[in-house]
Amino acid sequence: MSTHTGRVALVTGSGRGIGRAIADAHGAAGAAVVYLDHDPALAEAAAAEAAAKGRKALGLAADVADYASVAAACEKAAATLGPIDVLINNAGISPKSGSDGKRAPMWEMSPSEWQRVLDVNLTGAFNCTRAVVPGMRELGRGRIVSTSSVAGKTFCDIVGVHYAATKAGLIGFTKHLAGELGPFGITVNAVAPGRIDTPLMRGTASAANDAVKAITPLRRFGTAEDVAETCLFLTSDAASFVTAQVIDVAGGWLMT
Amino acid sequence: MTTTHDFSGRTLLITGAVGSIGRAVAERFFASGANCVVTDLDESAATALARDIDPGLTRVLPLAQDAAKPDDAARAAKAAVERFGAIDFVVTSAGLYRDALVAEMSDAEWRRSIDINLDGVFYTCRAAIPHMREGGSIVNIASMAGHRGSFAHAHYAAAKGAVLTFSRSLALELAPKIRVNAVSPGLIDGPMVQNLLQMNAGGARLIEQTPLKRLGRPDEIASVIAFLCSSDAGFMTGTSLHVNGGLHIAS
Ligand SMILES: NC(=O)c1ccc[n+]([C@@H]2O[C@H](COP(=O)([O-])OP(=O)(O)OC[C@H]3O[C@@H](n4cnc5c(N)ncnc54)[C@H](O)[C@@H]3O)[C@@H](O)[C@H]2O)c1
Ligand SMILES: NC(=O)c1ccc[n+]([C@@H]2O[C@H](COP(=O)([O-])OP(=O)(O)OC[C@H]3O[C@@H](n4cnc5c(N)ncnc54)[C@H](O)[C@@H]3O)[C@@H](O)[C@H]2O)c1
Repeated sequence: MSTHTGRVALVTGSGRGIGRAIADAHGAAGAAVVYLDHDPALAEAAAAEAAAKGRKALGLAADVADYASVAAACEKAAATLGPIDVLINNAGISPKSGSDGKRAPMWEMSPSEWQRVLDVNLTGAFNCTRAVVPGMRELGRGRIVSTSSVAGKTFCDIVGVHYAATKAGLIGFTKHLAGELGPFGITVNAVAPGRIDTPLMRGTASAANDAVKAITPLRRFGTAEDVAETCLFLTSDAASFVTAQVIDVAGGWLMT
Repeated sequence: MTTTHDFSGRTLLITGAVGSIGRAVAERFFASGANCVVTDLDESAATALARDIDPGLTRVLPLAQDAAKPDDAARAAKAAVERFGAIDFVVTSAGLYRDALVAEMSDAEWRRSIDINLDGVFYTCRAAIPHMREGGSIVNIASMAGHRGSFAHAHYAAAKGAVLTFSRSLALELAPKIRVNAVSPGLIDGPMVQNLLQMNAGGARLIEQTPLKRLGRPDEIASVIAFLCSSDAGFMTGTSLHVNGGLHIAS
């Protein structure tokens, strides 16, 4: 049954991985979907596959770190599909530039790597939200969900300090904005995935991933669909009184 | 009500089912196809509720269960299994919320709150676990009070805080077969909060402090519980979800 018929959802970083699953889930639930990704080929392919299933879909290339490119994309999206009801801030990077294929330790991290992760993961969410909120206020409704991480709540040996700082930053961003935007009928929430089997996760040494699996109570990696279903719940009527929440989708890992 | 889940062939055991939230949960699960064992202190009220939802009582079984009594929990679980074969979902909704300052609280007031709000959750879960099928899910209803405390409700808040850590511990014990989560409502319209609203200028102040500028509805708790029981939440265990319109921003 379609819970999102008539809605327009914009998902960043939806060319592949978790973002792709979130966007596909919204399309399957009846929403028109904007596949926004830095990589034009991925965005186009994802939108084309959705369109082939008879769904309303638009693929757009933009770097979320660049406000002008985001604003232009959001304008194009609204002009093509109608005002945006649902924004998913999902685009994110987690560089593993250390010598052992793991994150760079803080004392070896280049300032430019730090800056790029902040620009994409945190400023990217500001840029996209800044671009769509005026329209949501006009509509008198809206749903914003950001992809944080368990690494934003506690120490995770896999990621770098830049990544942890941005994912914690998204939590403050979410809680604060929920307070500011609630009076306009806009809910703001976040999901905090554990280890989810995507190209990003596979960029980490498999021994490190397996060590997490071993201490995850549900004894498996999450799937992109696990995260997508939680986002779909948060943007549905079922979650109409849920705002300012950061929801772990982590199989019980760390229970933060 | 839009129900998005298919719970047909599966069985819910819910305590405190006659309450405003309990009723909304039973209605939603029934509409999603589940068998529902609805228990409450008051048997005739449970029966009336069951007949409201399912006049022929084909998929709803009403029972008397005092949450504070271990034998009642065992009897309810046994009756659920005799009637429907097994238990898939447990929702502990029975709750008692009375005003009392600690300095003036009697032993009996303290005891009663802990008996119902905490011991009751233990008794019901313990009785149900051996009869639960793989893929099942337990949702314990805690409260905003269990996270941030509550003026003149220390006995209630202490019990609800304990329900949160009980749920996490049980999540560890029952993984990977059964998932266990908690839901913490904020201010949900119903008899339980009427006193509180009255003490706060009819609730105007509390609503002003709530970003969504209103009380929640029981069906908005039921929909979150249904999500947690569904396979959509298949990777979620040991969590607690706040449903409070932003009144308490912490998670
Ligand atoms: N996979 C996990 O275990 C995991 C765990 C916790 C959190 N997350 C978070 O989930 C989100 C998605 O992760 P994933 O695993 O699907 O990653 P992924 O690398 O598989 O996909 C990320 C997508 O985002 C796009 N992207 C990257 N930078 C962008 C930019 N500047 N502008 C627009 N698009 C950009 C990429 O092109 C890619 O398509 C990220 O925010 C990540 O931090 C992932
Ligand atoms: N309504 C709210 O704002 C709110 C907020 C936070 C938490 N909660 C929690 O949600 C749950 C349901 O609350 P509600 O709003 O439906 O309350 P309610 O008062 O409408 O219902 C509570 C039900 O529990 C039953 N009950 C009381 N003592 C019992 C006992 N010893 N054994 C069995 N049943 C017993 C009552 O008969 C009643 O039917 C409770 O656990 C409550 O603490 C409610």
